[in-house]
Amino acid sequence: MQMNNLRNFFDKIKPTFSEGGKLSWLGSTFEGFESFAFSPNTVTKSGSHVRDGVDLKRTMITVVIALMPALLFGMWNIGYQTSLHAENWPYELGTAASWWYCLLFGFVRMLPMIAVSYIVGLGIEFTFAQIRHHDIYEGFLVTGIIIPMIVPVTTPLWQLALAVAFAVIIGKEVFGGTGMNFLNPALVARAFLFFSYPTHMSGDQVWIAAKMNPFSTDALTGATTMGELSTGINPSASALDMIIGTVPGCTCETSVIAIALGAIMLLVSGIASWRIMLSVFIGGGLMGGLFNIIGANAYMQLPFYYHFIMGGFAFGAVFMATDPVTSAQTNCGKWVYGLLIGAFAVLLRVLNPAYPEGMMLSILLMNCFAPLIDHCVVSRNIKMRQRRAKLNQGKEVQA
Amino acid sequence: MSNIINIKKGLDLPVEGAAALRITDARHIATYAMKPTDYVGLVPRLLVAEGDAVAAGDALFCNKEDERIRFTAPVSGHVKAVVRGEKRRLLAVVVEKDESAARPAQLSGDLKEQMLQCGLWTMLRQRPFGCVPNPNVKPKAIVISCFDSAPLAPDYDFALQGREDDLCHGLEALASLTDGTLYACFRPGQRMARSVEQLSKSSKKDIQVRYFNGPHPAGNVGTQIAALCPINKGEVVWTMNPQDVAVLGHLVTTGEYRPEKVIAVAGPQIKNPHYYRIIAGAAVESIAKSQTLNPDYPQMVEAQPMQGSRLISGNILSGTTIAADSFIGGYDSLLSILPEGDYYDFMGWLMPGLQKFSFSRTFWTGFVPKWLHCIYPEMPQCLTPKFDTNTHGAWRPLVVTGSFERVFPFDIYPMQLIKACIIGDIELQENLGIYEVEPEDFALCEFIDTSKTEIQPVIRQALEILRKEAL
Repeated sequence: MQMNNLRNFFDKIKPTFSEGGKLSWLGSTFEGFESFAFSPNTVTKSGSHVRDGVDLKRTMITVVIALMPALLFGMWNIGYQTSLHAENWPYELGTAASWWYCLLFGFVRMLPMIAVSYIVGLGIEFTFAQIRHHDIYEGFLVTGIIIPMIVPVTTPLWQLALAVAFAVIIGKEVFGGTGMNFLNPALVARAFLFFSYPTHMSGDQVWIAAKMNPFSTDALTGATTMGELSTGINPSASALDMIIGTVPGCTCETSVIAIALGAIMLLVSGIASWRIMLSVFIGGGLMGGLFNIIGANAYMQLPFYYHFIMGGFAFGAVFMATDPVTSAQTNCGKWVYGLLIGAFAVLLRVLNPAYPEGMMLSILLMNCFAPLIDHCVVSRNIKMRQRRAKLNQGKEVQA
Repeated sequence: MSNIINIKKGLDLPVEGAAALRITDARHIATYAMKPTDYVGLVPRLLVAEGDAVAAGDALFCNKEDERIRFTAPVSGHVKAVVRGEKRRLLAVVVEKDESAARPAQLSGDLKEQMLQCGLWTMLRQRPFGCVPNPNVKPKAIVISCFDSAPLAPDYDFALQGREDDLCHGLEALASLTDGTLYACFRPGQRMARSVEQLSKSSKKDIQVRYFNGPHPAGNVGTQIAALCPINKGEVVWTMNPQDVAVLGHLVTTGEYRPEKVIAVAGPQIKNPHYYRIIAGAAVESIAKSQTLNPDYPQMVEAQPMQGSRLISGNILSGTTIAADSFIGGYDSLLSILPEGDYYDFMGWLMPGLQKFSFSRTFWTGFVPKWLHCIYPEMPQCLTPKFDTNTHGAWRPLVVTGSFERVFPFDIYPMQLIKACIIGDIELQENLGIYEVEPEDFALCEFIDTSKTEIQPVIRQALEILRKEAL
């Protein structure tokens, strides 16, 4: 019944926003809200008269759902890390940090970040859609939630807003919007923060929030495993801690288990490419193994599988490298693309102390090379076809 | 080379309502039409006027560019109407059947001459471009797909029951039109294949039988050509529907042009879908009106016949929408009836959507494993996928990659070729293999496409530009 009322409401105000209506300049925005509530009643015109149930909204929402385990765990971990390091953790709530208080703490810190990301990003998307007179494309649904998940919890909200704006405009819209960009927008945002405000993005003073106040950038001291490794300290966290995710790090990238849950969702639904996911790990493993064999310093001697559970490797492999727009598009190209991401990520981590986390740069680098990889793969197919044509011509001449 | 070719990539849509093996004779239908719009790139020249008496096999119009290619009346009678559309474009020539006017058409000359005269030539289609072939050119091969794997497709074993001899004679006649091989393609275990196997052994001509295993589009002739004799630039392969081959067989043995065929009338909400024996080009109105529809089918507002339904001449993946008072298409052996899906779907992108079919496994129907179907062949109604013409979403840029490849059994990069067609880069299209494909080969890509791009029209447009350049 309510559904019908809503439908009637949309039908009633639709003429106002349609062409010739008073608010026709807000047409895309209206369409965005309408199609959010109701899948459109459009029917096929020709060709395939039936269509698959899936659309871009469905695809994107499935990815968002797959991100939920990592997000929820990340929220809890924000509170948990503070409870481990803080001296004045609210004891009135009990000596041990109760799990729900940790979650609440993290929720209060995360929610404003997510809100800022969506408001800024969607605002820009809506504006561009409006200017270009097309529908609102759903690409930012995923980008908007990933950005707050891959930055330190103490990132000031104004920096986050700037980064999101930069990513959406320079990373995506200038190339034509969703589906046309060549760099992963979420990583563009992170790279923007990383190079513009390095003090807020690395070191020991950014990973653990001191206060529940989302506007506070006060941090407690606590280094990530990679931070320790790059400064030559042996890692303080055990492998098990890193798999579970109870270590400092970017807000939602720490738990391999939560990420694995998301990965299963993406693989079962078939949205993410298993080729890319698998090959990133193979590439990272191979490079890690190579360093194990060389073994020139402590970092090189670190067992290769540590790279999978440290920092953003798993999150990047599952959610960022698999972005279909910016990855290689051919199946063969996806293998090459993934292998190189994994290999470069480990290479950067071990050999470049200036950038403790190599995953972001590695994926961005391969984003740039993805079209080249595809070009090589497709050229092979083209050459095969030309050869076949020549062979046939030869036959005809003989005949 | 093995006789059996396995096609792994593809998709069989679980559409209910395939035609039961039962034939109603509908040769009494009174009106027939030839539609120039059924033939790719045809510029027709009208040869008759309203009221003219015509016999079966008399030309109604011909190809302006090659007047030997004539499109003829399927029945004897008189021209009832010449239907024109915008800019006086010829849409159809309607013939009212009148048996009294019947007189046998006099055919003379060799096989090619006879085919051209009676209009059977136009049942040949050439690859690339999908148009009626030029009589002066000899194809490098002829490929006949003797089964159809599309959803709700007719069973040619059943449709051609008792006409196996006609089919064999037709195949033998066709084989004389090429210096290359004639391939007849079947599903393994098809009954009709036996007589053709015998023919291929006894005939002096190069007739070969091949079997194709696997999901749709294994039965698409494009898939078979790609596996047997891929087309290079400048080469031509011909194809023909097996029912038309049987008409040709009848022509060469008796000298009589009798364009009869059996069509399946099928669709998910039809109560008793079955076959009809018709003469080519028959009006579908009486057939469509005689169908009773299942009122329980979702989105069926009322059980009124044809209210809110779409008639499709051909299959639901690549057929043509026709009006209820229109005629079956020249090449088609299937009349699909599909519910229109012009409804709003509350939060359709978020809801479980248990009855929405999807290849992507973002819906339940996508990941029902095959073995579950084997254990429970009868899924409860609430979990059986329902099909209609709703697009299930609006157009978006192409974002998802790697899915087309799973339903596209060609050695071609589908996404890259589609993009080359969209941007109109002819050289790239040629390099990527545009000559090997027809729009129908992309039907499944279009079906599964997340971005709801209209891929088949894009391919057709690109092919038309190439065809005109090749002229």
